Amino acid sequence: MSSRRTRSLLHSEAWGISLWATLAFAVGSLLVFWGLQNFVAKDIQRRSDTWLSGEVEVLGDVAGRTPKDRLYDNVVREVAELASREVPNRDHSSGNGSDSVFFLQVGTSGDDALWVGTEDRVSAVAAIRSVPARGDSPYDVRIKGFAAPFRVATIQIEDGSHIYLGLSERDELRVLRNLRLRFITLWLVIVLLGFLVVFYATWRMLRRVDKIALVAAHIGRADLSSRVPAPRGRGEVGRLARTLNHMLDHIEATVGQLHTITDALAHDLRSPLTAIRGKLEAALLPGSSTDPTERIVSAIEELDRLSNFLNTSLDVSEARADALRLSPAEIDLASLVCAIADFFEPSFSERGCSLQVRIAEAVHVSADAALLHRVIANLLDNEIKHLPPSRTVCVSVQKGHETAILTIEDDGPGFDPEVLPHLFERRVKGKTSRGHGLGLAFVQAVVRVHGGSVDATNRVGDGIRISVSLPLLKRGESSKLPAAALVIR
Amino acid sequence: MPYDSGMRLLLVEDEREIQDFVKQSLIDAGWEVRTADDAKSALEEVERNVFDGLIVDLGLPDLDGIDLILRLRRLGITAPVLILSARRTLDERLKGLELGGDDYLTKPFAAAELLARIRNLVRLASQKEDTSHIRIDDLEIDAVTRRATQNGRLLNLTPQEFLLLEYLCRNAGRVVTRSMLLAKVWGMQFQPDTNMVDVHIYRLRGKIDPEGSESRIKTLRGVGYVFQTN
Repeated sequence: MSSRRTRSLLHSEAWGISLWATLAFAVGSLLVFWGLQNFVAKDIQRRSDTWLSGEVEVLGDVAGRTPKDRLYDNVVREVAELASREVPNRDHSSGNGSDSVFFLQVGTSGDDALWVGTEDRVSAVAAIRSVPARGDSPYDVRIKGFAAPFRVATIQIEDGSHIYLGLSERDELRVLRNLRLRFITLWLVIVLLGFLVVFYATWRMLRRVDKIALVAAHIGRADLSSRVPAPRGRGEVGRLARTLNHMLDHIEATVGQLHTITDALAHDLRSPLTAIRGKLEAALLPGSSTDPTERIVSAIEELDRLSNFLNTSLDVSEARADALRLSPAEIDLASLVCAIADFFEPSFSERGCSLQVRIAEAVHVSADAALLHRVIANLLDNEIKHLPPSRTVCVSVQKGHETAILTIEDDGPGFDPEVLPHLFERRVKGKTSRGHGLGLAFVQAVVRVHGGSVDATNRVGDGIRISVSLPLLKRGESSKLPAAALVIR
Repeated sequence: MPYDSGMRLLLVEDEREIQDFVKQSLIDAGWEVRTADDAKSALEEVERNVFDGLIVDLGLPDLDGIDLILRLRRLGITAPVLILSARRTLDERLKGLELGGDDYLTKPFAAAELLARIRNLVRLASQKEDTSHIRIDDLEIDAVTRRATQNGRLLNLTPQEFLLLEYLCRNAGRVVTRSMLLAKVWGMQFQPDTNMVDVHIYRLRGKIDPEGSESRIKTLRGVGYVFQTN
């Protein structure tokens, strides 16, 4: 179990990300240190070179002035020993200065006249003399038996002899070695700590993403009602989770709607299909009391209604999804209402109702003629279906502020207060309605696609008022509506 | 019916049930009908025979109906085409296609409507009919001045009643459906749930039928209306 866990950890993105991040950090900090160390090393060397040059000059001066008598050796040796005590970077714990500093005077004849320093005089002098002097600047000399090289400065005094002053680089190297050691220790600790911090942070974040993925997979397989865990705060992962949840809300709602529509559609189809089948069967039965033709006719009428219902149903769905194909044109709403009212008027008067049209002037809108036609016809058709006899329907078209307003009022019983808030929803209809509850849903969907709005209220007193507002077409303005509104919300 | 006789149609439809019903309706109306189940046999048919009109279903098994029509046009066949489709709205490609004298009918359709449409198409293609003046028995209709007279007496008709009478008379002796009337007379592209067309027909009858006699505008329930001639 734990080995599997380790393996999955090694294959996780968090592992990879932390590894790369740590590597970048480690290499970067190494480079910085390397530069720093070079700078320090050069500075140390510059200081010891300055000291050497200064000291060798002092020694040369002392050697030149001191008479070459019996005391010469002692004087010079003393001065050299004094000088060796002022060695820069000197580690006082590492014994006396005799093995870190040497003094050599070589006479004109080539003999090494004076030596102050390590006991192994022969090999030291040989090593010093094997390296040619390089003018004024100090140079490196390796002496057998010494791990660290010596920095050597040389000067020629007046009597022609050469003076060499050497300083071991041992202390200098030790300082640098200490520096490196401390850095490496610190560097290892920081890199390890960095790796752990990066790994933990990444792993925590990615674990959230992983949880989201797990839940999403579960939702994809089975349960659309689950939601991914959404951490609070403004982080990207939180936003991802919230966006996913919003999307899921939308999908769930849409699927729910689809179920409802499919169920309702199946129900709506099943009833008339049963009726049609029944009627046709009855027509075939011998010895029936009614004329079989009557039953067939009735079945055909039922079929026509069914096909009509299907078309409207699809239209409403398309309009709701903003997928109606519009062919907008400039339309005079007033004359359109007049023409449709002319068509409906006989039916109203046949029912003992009256249809009044109040129009003052032409009101131009940009709309799809066929759809607008159906919107008005739907509203009037609703009135015919629901208005009791000897009532009055009044249709008016007015110009509002930047809108064309079509109002339909009647003095009938008004909308059922329970239905009123849901009037424009699909499949909502009055208790006594024989329709499918699509008429007003269609009206609203089409009007919305045209950038307008519909409002339905019960009038104070009795009756209803439905007002449709559409954007007014301004003078000289051509149709603004897109030829095909294909935006899925 | 002498008008339709001798005219030959090609019906391209893969659904047997629809093919049979349409074919029978056309034969009953006096058309000579040949059928094809797919685009391939339709192309073979047009090579062998000359047709006055074609009825083409859009959903063919081997080739899209629109592509078939395009091929027919490339072959130089100019006969008018009545397109049948299960889609409710005119296909975008059909809009782009110059329909010319062609027409479009969505399923489900009434046989009467199909007959009226194909008749109309073929008539338009042959341009034989005098359209400005119609005379049926004692009724005279002048489509130019928009006046209708009965026995020389001017009938008092509203503009819509005139259009209704004109349309019925132009199709005298033939069935016209409610949706045809709604579309041609009132410009409505859908069926109201209520019987508004019946109300208009009822009013027209009151104006053109002599009192006590049986109406000349006969209702065929479930189908439509026929203007009867003596």
